[in-house]
Amino acid sequence: MHAASEAILIVEQLQVSYRSKEQARPILHGLNLTLHQGETVCLLGESGSGKSTLAKAITGLLPPSAQVGSGSLALAGGIAVDLADDNGSGSIPWQRIRGTELALLFQDARQALNPVMTIGQHFKETLLDHRKAKPDEVESISCRLLRKLGFTDPLVLLSSYPFQLSGGMCQRICLAIALCLEPKVLIADEPTSALDTVSQREVLSLIRAMQLDLGLTVLLITHDLAVARAVSDRVIVLDQGRLVEQGSVQRVFSQPKALFTRQLLAYRSQVSAPAKLRSTRKSSACLLEVRRLHKSYDANQPIVRDASLTLDEQEIVGVLGQSGCGKSTLARCIAGLETPNAGSILLRGTDISGLQGKARREICRRIQMVFQDARASLHPGRTAQQLVQEPLQYLRIGNKQERIALASHYLQEVGIEGEAQYRKPPQLSTGQCQRIAIARALVLKPEVLICDEAVSALDVRIQAQILKLLKRLHKQYRFSILMISHDVSVLRSFCHHIAVMSDGRFQEGKQASVRLHESSQPHTQLLLRCAGDLEEVRI
Amino acid sequence: MIVAVLLRKLMEALLTLICATVILFMLIRLAPGDPAVLLLGQPSEVAAMHTEVYEQKAAELREQWGLDQPMAIQYVSWLGRLVQLDLGTSLHTGRAVSAELAERLPATLQLTAAALAVQLLLGFWLGIVSALKAGTFSDQLIRLACVTLASTPAFVTGLCALLLFAVTLGAYEISSEASWSRLWLPALTMGLASMPQFARMVRANMLAELGQTYVLAALSRGLARRRVIGQASRNALLPLVTVTALSAATFASGAVVIESLFAWPGIGKYALDSILRKDYPVIQGYAFVMVTLVILIHLCVDVLYAYIDPRLQRKRRQVTRGVNEHA
Amino acid sequence: MHSTRRSVSLIAGTVLLGLLAVLIAGAHWISPYDPVQQHAAERLEKPSAQHPFGTDRFGRDLLARTLHGGQITLLSAMAALSGALAIGLAVGLAAGMFHNSLLDRLFMRMIDVLLAFPFMVLAMVVAALFGTSLFHLLLAVIAVGWVTFARLARSVVLQARNETSFAAARVLGASNRTLILRELAPKALSPVLILATFELGSLILSIAALSFLGLGAQPPTPEWGSMLADGREYVLQSPHIMFGPALFIMLSVLAFNLIGEGLRDRLDPYEKPQL
Repeated sequence: MHAASEAILIVEQLQVSYRSKEQARPILHGLNLTLHQGETVCLLGESGSGKSTLAKAITGLLPPSAQVGSGSLALAGGIAVDLADDNGSGSIPWQRIRGTELALLFQDARQALNPVMTIGQHFKETLLDHRKAKPDEVESISCRLLRKLGFTDPLVLLSSYPFQLSGGMCQRICLAIALCLEPKVLIADEPTSALDTVSQREVLSLIRAMQLDLGLTVLLITHDLAVARAVSDRVIVLDQGRLVEQGSVQRVFSQPKALFTRQLLAYRSQVSAPAKLRSTRKSSACLLEVRRLHKSYDANQPIVRDASLTLDEQEIVGVLGQSGCGKSTLARCIAGLETPNAGSILLRGTDISGLQGKARREICRRIQMVFQDARASLHPGRTAQQLVQEPLQYLRIGNKQERIALASHYLQEVGIEGEAQYRKPPQLSTGQCQRIAIARALVLKPEVLICDEAVSALDVRIQAQILKLLKRLHKQYRFSILMISHDVSVLRSFCHHIAVMSDGRFQEGKQASVRLHESSQPHTQLLLRCAGDLEEVRI
Repeated sequence: MIVAVLLRKLMEALLTLICATVILFMLIRLAPGDPAVLLLGQPSEVAAMHTEVYEQKAAELREQWGLDQPMAIQYVSWLGRLVQLDLGTSLHTGRAVSAELAERLPATLQLTAAALAVQLLLGFWLGIVSALKAGTFSDQLIRLACVTLASTPAFVTGLCALLLFAVTLGAYEISSEASWSRLWLPALTMGLASMPQFARMVRANMLAELGQTYVLAALSRGLARRRVIGQASRNALLPLVTVTALSAATFASGAVVIESLFAWPGIGKYALDSILRKDYPVIQGYAFVMVTLVILIHLCVDVLYAYIDPRLQRKRRQVTRGVNEHA
Repeated sequence: MHSTRRSVSLIAGTVLLGLLAVLIAGAHWISPYDPVQQHAAERLEKPSAQHPFGTDRFGRDLLARTLHGGQITLLSAMAALSGALAIGLAVGLAAGMFHNSLLDRLFMRMIDVLLAFPFMVLAMVVAALFGTSLFHLLLAVIAVGWVTFARLARSVVLQARNETSFAAARVLGASNRTLILRELAPKALSPVLILATFELGSLILSIAALSFLGLGAQPPTPEWGSMLADGREYVLQSPHIMFGPALFIMLSVLAFNLIGEGLRDRLDPYEKPQL
């Protein structure tokens, strides 16, 4: 059917590079891309593959350090521009293209709205600037669109500010604002990556519905295989600025041709495959118990309320929840970063909640934590060796030689060897940074390792490697893991038990992860359904 | 809710004012010498007064001001007089300090307002232009001019301006009157001196705003460049309200140099003359008025922010209505 | 290309400052005249080969006075600033580290109160009550000057405390001392130092301005501001007597401002999007 419909956007020979210091770093190497009327095309690639650069290049929003070597853009209405002209000369009539021909959705929707303007003002300026409506029509047009996008009370929304709305709502509003100009092509740059599973599904199904409804052409840029499979008609796989494969979604996912695609799919199935590690573990003593924990910064809005959880020796427990459900705050309380308002945290029977000073530092030997953004957790000016020695210095463990030996040992354990041990974080990859962070936690030989979304921000390839590493280390050093994540599939493949958190509490205790789908809790079911849809079902 | 916030700000301002008066009071008490002598003037300076008469006067003063009483009581009674706007009497003229200051305040405020206008208009314009053309020759030129101007003492600029306009060109009248025709030169000098810093902040804030995603998003909607720049510059200016208020306070108090240079009969020049005349009640009154003025300006800024920045107004009120639950 | 253009102001500022420092430190060798010795015969002379900047109303060589005055002006400004910097940094770090504690609130209240005292007002009150001298002026500078640094350091610290690296260091067992010295202080130091270079410039201006008003250094001490004040009555007839001190004030402030600009550009290299 697509072969028959006309091409609506053609990009040819797009070459983009970034200048940094003296040299130019190529990002896109002569990319060709054609979109047909009414289709949804997924541009799939890892971070740094140049997929966002493509979106910016064809909307003329590249930063000045980017240089378009060559490339042409042709749109259905007979508009053809040479993108290489777009180096600040202002010769391209972007105002005629942006908004009406091409609309763009950003990853962080809240940032994409002006913080001091109401939603209504956004609609107003967009509609009036393009003369799409008269001033008195603005409200009715925007209300109609918002209703279409599932908002039941659009008038309230129009008078509210972005900071009053959730990330998912902001993305839906951005979609509505984009659609009010009736664009021909919608380019969505990782529109759901910053959202939790439930909002993710909501936004994706809305984009899909709008596409069918309005005959929109959608270019969806994502790193998430599940998203690509769920919504696209056609998939284009990008690796390091080169197009390695394209084809219908069924074909690419069932019979991937390119090596890169095959690897990507293999890693994904590795990450989300149901785990085989349960049952070998004998039931053992309770190591950590969280009892009726309560934490709030503002008395009216408790973050964690009445949360109870247990973690046995050598057990891996997953805490599953949407963003803002309080799971990270729970983790921070256990790690001693926050003092709970009420309740207790028992480590082998002794309460460790809210310890300060020396007592808190003693607990650090026994409870360690790995953070989501590994790079941000490492000081950029210190070498991997120094970074791993840090906790030993802080807690005065061993002398200098012993510290170096210990650090080398653990760095080797996580696969940072030889000369890499003397590199600093800016010269290391994100995966390597996460490995250092893990080595740094393990060097203290903790009994509990808390992983706070430790793999969520990583590409699937690195995600698989890190999870494999954690599994091996867990087996070898026999610590317990508390895995905090919003990703059902990662938790199901990795944890013995999963506890689902919502609104700051656990509705039911931890469940064996193989039996999670038997849960009767509606919230658990909702999470599973959303994740499941993305896994297997097309929206 | 907003009333509660304002009330809290008001209480804080009052507390700050009280602390400030304590400091002022302590400063006078810490000063070397007998406060009565300070307030009355040295015996040698108060000519035509016999020693006995002087002693008697001093004793009267001590009793009147309660100088023989404990510090705390002295402070409270001083505060009591302050509340009634009784700032004492000038040693030089024998008139009430409050009246003397009130006479000169309008001239200072006039100069401050004019200088502020120069700073804001010029600084805003240069800052925005410099940010929009960041990295180009005109940006470098503006920045260089600003740095040079910021490095020139206001009194040097003032002296040069006087030399040029009053002596060489004869376009500026040298007198000691506060008239509109004499306002432009001191205002320009003062405004130019503080403009570079303001322009620099406008530039930095504007660049930060231009880097925000919402600017890209607005461009991606095909909005006119003008409109996008307008939005960004509005947001860049929001945090500068505080800076503006602070420079207003600095102008009002720091007008001393310019006022004395241009013989502008404002409160600053009066204070300076009083220091040289050792007219302590006036200096004390001047400091009190200035501190109160600054605290008032800060309070106004807080109130203003509550109105112009919606984020502060509605922080707690999250919108939950109008949102359907997950489908 | 960008990085080289950015460091131009840094290099220019450093070279200028170095040049001034050499001139001022070598005052004895460059200008052989005594800066205080009066020569009634050579009053208000125009610049000549013998007196490059001319002489003042007492016949003193203005070049010698300017160069010697630089020692006093620059050294006193630096001394006062280091005092303010040390206090400000310590208070800011402590207040930020123990955010919302009694200590923090106390400091913030103090800062609020001190902010109500414009520098000029405090300097004038101190001069009036304690007598006009450079030392009192410098005390006044320290008394109010630390507030700016403390506020900046505190805000940087508060931001740094929310960063992952701070949480990571705490989880790894760092003590409060380690946290302050290794995690917070280095982050606060660079913005505070950049502010300090700018403040040093404006401090030189303030000291000069106050001396100009007669509230700072007292005659016959050669100091730039007081030299200008000294020549004020004669400036309309012989403008050259302003030239030396005015030029040196400008150049030294310019040097600090250029260094500050250069350092700041290096600290936050921003990129402007294409409009």
